[in-house]
Amino acid sequence: MKVTGEHIFKGTPKQVWDLFRDTDVMAAALPGTKNMEAVGENEYEAVMNVRVGPVAGEFSGTLVLSNEDYPKSYTLTVEGRGKPGFLKGTGDINLIYQGENSTLMEYGGDVQIGGKLAGVGQRLIDTVSKSIISQAFDTLDEVLAERTAAEEEGREAEYRKASEKDYAAAVAKDIVGGFLSAPWMKWLLGVFIVLIIVLILIISLT
Amino acid sequence: MTYKVIGKRVKRVEDPRLLTGQALFVGDVTLPDMLHAAFLRSDYAHAKLISIDVNLALEVSGVVAVYTAADMGDAWEPGPPLVSPPPTLENVVFNSRRQVPLVKDKVKHAGEIIAVVVAESRYIAEDAVEEILVEFEPLPVVVDLEKCLEPGSVLVHDDLDTNLAAHLVQNKGDYESARKGADLIINRRFQLDRGAAVAMENRGIVADWNEKNQHLTVWDATQSPIPIRNGLAARLGLTQRQVRVIAPFVGGGFGPKIMMFYAEEMVLPWITMKLGVPIKWIEDRRENFYATTQEREQIHEVEMALSKEGHILGIKQTIIHDTGAFNPYGLTTPLNTQSHSMGAYDVQNYSSEVIVVFTNKTIVTPVRGAGRPQGIYIVERLLDIAARELELDLMEIRRLNFIPPDAFPYEHKIIDQAFVPLILDSGNYEPAFDKALEMLGYEDFIKKEQPRLRAEGKHVGIGIVPFIETTGVGPYEGARVSVEPSGKISAATGVGTQGQSHMTSFAQIIAEHLGVQVTDVNLVTGDTAEFQWGTGTFASRGAVVAGNAVNAAASDVRQKVLKLASKILETPEKELELEDGMVRVVDIPDQSISLGELALLANPLRGAVEPGTEPGLESTKYFGPAFGATAFGVHGMILEVDPETMMIKIRKYITVEDCGTMINPLVVEGQIHGGVSMGIGNAYYEKLHYDENGQLLNANLADYLIPGSTEMPHIDVHHANTPAPNNELGTKGVGEAGAIPVPALFAQALENALHDYELEILETPLSPNRLYELLHKQEDPS
Repeated sequence: MKVTGEHIFKGTPKQVWDLFRDTDVMAAALPGTKNMEAVGENEYEAVMNVRVGPVAGEFSGTLVLSNEDYPKSYTLTVEGRGKPGFLKGTGDINLIYQGENSTLMEYGGDVQIGGKLAGVGQRLIDTVSKSIISQAFDTLDEVLAERTAAEEEGREAEYRKASEKDYAAAVAKDIVGGFLSAPWMKWLLGVFIVLIIVLILIISLT
Repeated sequence: MTYKVIGKRVKRVEDPRLLTGQALFVGDVTLPDMLHAAFLRSDYAHAKLISIDVNLALEVSGVVAVYTAADMGDAWEPGPPLVSPPPTLENVVFNSRRQVPLVKDKVKHAGEIIAVVVAESRYIAEDAVEEILVEFEPLPVVVDLEKCLEPGSVLVHDDLDTNLAAHLVQNKGDYESARKGADLIINRRFQLDRGAAVAMENRGIVADWNEKNQHLTVWDATQSPIPIRNGLAARLGLTQRQVRVIAPFVGGGFGPKIMMFYAEEMVLPWITMKLGVPIKWIEDRRENFYATTQEREQIHEVEMALSKEGHILGIKQTIIHDTGAFNPYGLTTPLNTQSHSMGAYDVQNYSSEVIVVFTNKTIVTPVRGAGRPQGIYIVERLLDIAARELELDLMEIRRLNFIPPDAFPYEHKIIDQAFVPLILDSGNYEPAFDKALEMLGYEDFIKKEQPRLRAEGKHVGIGIVPFIETTGVGPYEGARVSVEPSGKISAATGVGTQGQSHMTSFAQIIAEHLGVQVTDVNLVTGDTAEFQWGTGTFASRGAVVAGNAVNAAASDVRQKVLKLASKILETPEKELELEDGMVRVVDIPDQSISLGELALLANPLRGAVEPGTEPGLESTKYFGPAFGATAFGVHGMILEVDPETMMIKIRKYITVEDCGTMINPLVVEGQIHGGVSMGIGNAYYEKLHYDENGQLLNANLADYLIPGSTEMPHIDVHHANTPAPNNELGTKGVGEAGAIPVPALFAQALENALHDYELEILETPLSPNRLYELLHKQEDPS
């Protein structure tokens, strides 16, 4: 399935890039991540809970980050397998500054799904992913607005992280708390979640 | 011959048990110490199996064993080749590749079995399946019927250098010469897609090895218990008598429950012999979508040559038939398409090539209709197109081309799926066609009602499609009928029962001969301990082949009864009658003896019998036809399409069915209703959506739509009767008939309803979505 999509952020590409690197933010936006570890430079393994309608279960996958061009573009490749089936996809993300504090995020890629996710979840993937995406973008937009406001008002945005953690805990019981405090882990989680968003976006637009 | 019981609308004697939950299905079988199996199946359609680690699964509490292909050792072997190519055909390419019990090295379609867990309950087994760690190397997938034949294509079977499963050509007459004299040549490409059988009861097996008795009992929701018994004995190194296969009540067969030797049928008996305890597995609905066979995907490149008057001069076609990952059932389905692509018509010149391909999809074997709906679709579509091009009436062009009644038996000079010459034994098509037009009110509808409704802005269309169905093929079936001392009749036959009313229909035949009530007959079907010769219930052959065996056995028992009664009553046989369980002297009803008393006398405890005497009033007989009995019929309908939603409403549905002598019209009508329902699904709702990776995208009954009561029209059935000339009863099969013409009928009626769109339908199944796309394409050629 070849698909494309876009979202406009109120911020600079650098701000958006950083936003996507912030694991606290991404965890809040997308609950379900249980475990993640680096297995090489720009290559990671992660475990996530996935639920698409009646199809639910643990998903373990690898993701590879490549073609990084900060703060403009990168490529994400994911392969995941688990009780719900499997998915395999590659997505290109471009951040384009449009002036007036506005950044267009463009994504495009190819994704394959299989097993129960395809056979039973296919019809629901569209709806489920759309609601997750709108929730995720809402959260990301709010965080970005808060950060911008804090910057303008010259105050620290420190409080935000805690509130995001609370939010994450509230939204998903199974989100892992402790390891999120590790700086390198935050970055990895951020990347993984970006990838999941991208994949869901891709899937949702087919 | 006038019958007293045969041909009567006797209510089904099995229904009280079925409707009150008293009938035994495999799911009801529970044995002491019974364990349960669950299967790990591949999500990938094509992948190398690198490694399997079952250790975590074995640690799950309640798990007894986990097996992979490696554990089977020498017992691991592919399923048997069920149907090889017709030996009488020349230059046939046939690459036989059969399904395996457990995947050894490479997965070839999604749903293939990687491992089996045996546990104390199905719940535990299912949980443990998720603990098995498998490393796959996903491979590129091939699903396209044409791309799979291109050089360099991904190969389903690495030991073949091609995805070609089979190739054959059959010619009748000389198409090329006929073509030269044609006024009109029509060329079309047709795309026919896959559907599932969706029996209400999924497959199921309970296997029980008794070590002390050295005996294996298998309850199997199969259409063919005897071949399964024979195959299991051979695979497991047992004598056939050491194996008993019971197909109890089965909740719908529709083809896929044929003697496949499904992986599960190979694995469960092997496990019970290893563990010495009974094992049970009932297929779940999702497994059914991946692991139970499917049908109908074909691409046809067809040419029809006609005279300007509308006479068919010849047909030429290439059929590409998708067999999925394996081809255990040989060429049955494409051969049926090949023979039914001439429909009910006198086609003198026919050239047809069949190409069968392997793809990374679920295995294809016959599903109710078995290639026939595709054949009928092709010829009926071509006639609709030809009529339009020649500006002929759609009905007239059919009338012009019917095989005339005096041409039967009509030999088509090609070989059919039963490996015998395709001979249509009998037929009388035009009166059936006229009757259908009359029932549908064709003239009135075309001239008055349709113009009136169209003026109101309604999109109403009419369709009428005739069809034939080769039924009742050999090789043979048998039956045993026996009078018990109680006066009740015991009977058994080898075919299994999946809803065909054998307990009623066959009892009617017996009651006819022996003068007993239908309810006095106890018939057992599908139990190899009761009857061990035969093949199974498929190809619309039960009433013809098993029915005539029952008829022969009952008739023979009647002779035995008369002979003995004649001696005892001291009356010539011809002066005796069998009524109410008694043998009576015709004019002196008081002078009589009951069947039970005769049965006792036929099995004396003391004294000497005459040399050569067989005990009891019992007979076993077999029936094997030289070739099949050809049923035929006509379906007609009036439908209305909502051009915005593309939802349809069937305003009228009629059928004229000719299945020769009917044993029970009520049962025949039930078969037709069921068939039409399946046909409506095939025509407008049911399609298995595979993506380019061999993933089935609607493997559930929320997304795979089957017609429900709201989609079913009232069906008016008219019975015509052209008795089969080559069997005693004159019966022809009717089990598949209802499904066969429906896709062609839908196409015709939809085109008629949407006449202002100039729609030409060249595919099936359709759906509201697909029809919308076709109309949209029609409006906007870009």
